[in-house]
Amino acid sequence: MIRCYVTGSLPRPRELIEVTRAYDRNKASKEELEKAFQESTKKVIEAQVQAGLDYIIDGMLKWQDLLRPLTENLEGVQAGGLARWFNNNTFYRRPIILGPLCRTRNIIAKITYTELMPKDRPWKVILPAPYTFVRLSENKFYKSERELMFAYAEILNEEIKNLSEAGFKYVQLSEPALVYNPFEEAIPKDTLTDIEEALRTSLKNVDIRCCLQTFFGDFTRILPEALEFPVDDLGIDLYETNLKELKEYSFDKKGVALGLIDARSSLVEDEKGLLKVANEIIEAIYPSKIQDIFICPNCDLEFLPWERAEEKIRVMGRVARILARGQP
Amino acid sequence: MDKLFPTQEIGSLAKPAWRIKAYRGEPLSDEEIAEAIEWGRKLGIENLESLIKVLKKHQKTPEDKKAILQWSALYAIRFFEAAGLDIIFDGEQWRSEMYEHVIRNVGGFKFLGYVKSFDYRYFNKAACINKPAYLKSFYVEEFIFTKENTKKMIKVPFTGPYTLVDWTFNEYYERKVMDQTEDFKQGKSYAKREFIFDLIKEVIRPEISRLIEAGATWIQIDEPAATTNPSKEEMQLFVEAFNETVKGFNCTFSLHNCYSNYRVLANYASQLRNCSQLALEFANRDSTQTGIDEVRIGYNELKFFEDNGYQGNYGLGVVDVHTDFIEPPELVRDRILHAVKIVGDPNRIFASTDCGLRTRKWEISFAKLRNMVLGAELARKALW
Repeated sequence: MIRCYVTGSLPRPRELIEVTRAYDRNKASKEELEKAFQESTKKVIEAQVQAGLDYIIDGMLKWQDLLRPLTENLEGVQAGGLARWFNNNTFYRRPIILGPLCRTRNIIAKITYTELMPKDRPWKVILPAPYTFVRLSENKFYKSERELMFAYAEILNEEIKNLSEAGFKYVQLSEPALVYNPFEEAIPKDTLTDIEEALRTSLKNVDIRCCLQTFFGDFTRILPEALEFPVDDLGIDLYETNLKELKEYSFDKKGVALGLIDARSSLVEDEKGLLKVANEIIEAIYPSKIQDIFICPNCDLEFLPWERAEEKIRVMGRVARILARGQP
Repeated sequence: MDKLFPTQEIGSLAKPAWRIKAYRGEPLSDEEIAEAIEWGRKLGIENLESLIKVLKKHQKTPEDKKAILQWSALYAIRFFEAAGLDIIFDGEQWRSEMYEHVIRNVGGFKFLGYVKSFDYRYFNKAACINKPAYLKSFYVEEFIFTKENTKKMIKVPFTGPYTLVDWTFNEYYERKVMDQTEDFKQGKSYAKREFIFDLIKEVIRPEISRLIEAGATWIQIDEPAATTNPSKEEMQLFVEAFNETVKGFNCTFSLHNCYSNYRVLANYASQLRNCSQLALEFANRDSTQTGIDEVRIGYNELKFFEDNGYQGNYGLGVVDVHTDFIEPPELVRDRILHAVKIVGDPNRIFASTDCGLRTRKWEISFAKLRNMVLGAELARKALW
């Protein structure tokens, strides 16, 4: 089947931006801020429904960065100084690990506007994957990064279990650090084995579809090993991946999330061009039988102003439907 | 410069409330007018009454607004002079901001709206929707005004092409190349190259030309985005862009870059041609104890530039622009002397702020700059 969804935070619409800025300058109250978040969340959910997305997220408008809900709600970690978000002109607060990671309450289900999510469409939720969490943190407590990764994987497992109980049908683990590779270094085999193991820990005893979503880097860096990862789907940033090389692999046993929409460019894609590229990739990586395919943006759409993101979501929906019609 | 450790600032200085509000045509409070008078007296601004008259006017004409820009530029010039700096500019009082000021004055761009920087902070991001076109000069008038109002050496801050391109959506060139390429990644990379070199040819070099004709002798290329993409391909693009920008001009050029990955920049610094000085931010990374040895942790990265064969001068960041802490002269002195130990030749060190002071209040900025000047003097004495 060919379906579609978004893969990260959606941009805050203009009216919400205005209230957050006013709040920052003590010119709007907490209640006004909360109300603005709710209104905008409704708006970005509605846009996904209108565009025909198969899984819906709440937009993550409140998330200050991918790690912040965990940084602010887990024991043993604190939000540190600003650091560059990979190769973007945006910044995140570095989690500083000061003690044993401990989860004392439900986190993501609590901050997600589930009451505003549609009842008749499956819900998707997004969390930082183990390796990315570790690479972006400053470890001042655990003996090794490996130890921290497994401690986090346990936390993630509890969180995913809770999200599954709360009604989510799909979990995306965002893993940019695994493919972001500006210095063109090879990734050690042992690290990939550890990551596979950490993913197994994160997903043990949970019954929810899972995608490991990579972005900001070339997916072929982790091939063929990623094909053995214990996830249902693998997410690929097509704007950073060597497509020729990608087409040499067969994804027989895995679904893919094809990051066909460029969230870091304001240029609205030409549908014909996207269809051509998508068809060529699908043909190449599924030589015998097509698995599940998700058409998606290559990363968080929050790099764009909302209006442009919305246009791109619509293009994505149309492209996915045309592709779906063409498939058996 | 005929003395050791000349002192300089990087570019921006906070805009006083009277400058912002009056320029927008908003009414000023008595306190705001009092502030204009107080600083005006402190800085020995002549003919203050005529400024106050303009500030108090209800309806401001375009000429009034122009006059307000000039007044605040004059204040900033006197501010830097009074602090005792050797190399100055006008605190970028004519510019709304380093990115917007240029983009708004150049053809081919359209602002799309605010995008997130971090938390509840955003920036107004433009898209390039047509080939960039030079419509009018955007720095020259400001430079001429500065030149007419000071006898000090002038360094003109100039937002660099790599940063302008990195902070802008690239619609025009992506549209152009995307249907000619199979691989999105390659397409985006071609599109970025074409954008940068067109911008340099059509806009940046014509403006530099006019600045030089108007008498500019030192232009500082500001490239805060320089190491955003630390890959070899991107860093080479940055170097090529700098070299193309300055090629063949009879003028001194320097580069300012801050809050960046200096390990990466150091690898490429020696490839920058006609770059007399690297103005770098170090104080922000440093401890605040005095001493010229291990306590100077913020300056470790200076070694990378030396180890990688960079031979030019340094605009050594000895004043942190992100805190209100007033660096004592002794701390400034020790930062300079520590750098001399690493670099060897004291003639290669200029005492500088980490970055522009636009986020600090004037009182704080003044105290910081004053101590920077005193600290440089102490360092000179220590070497005699």
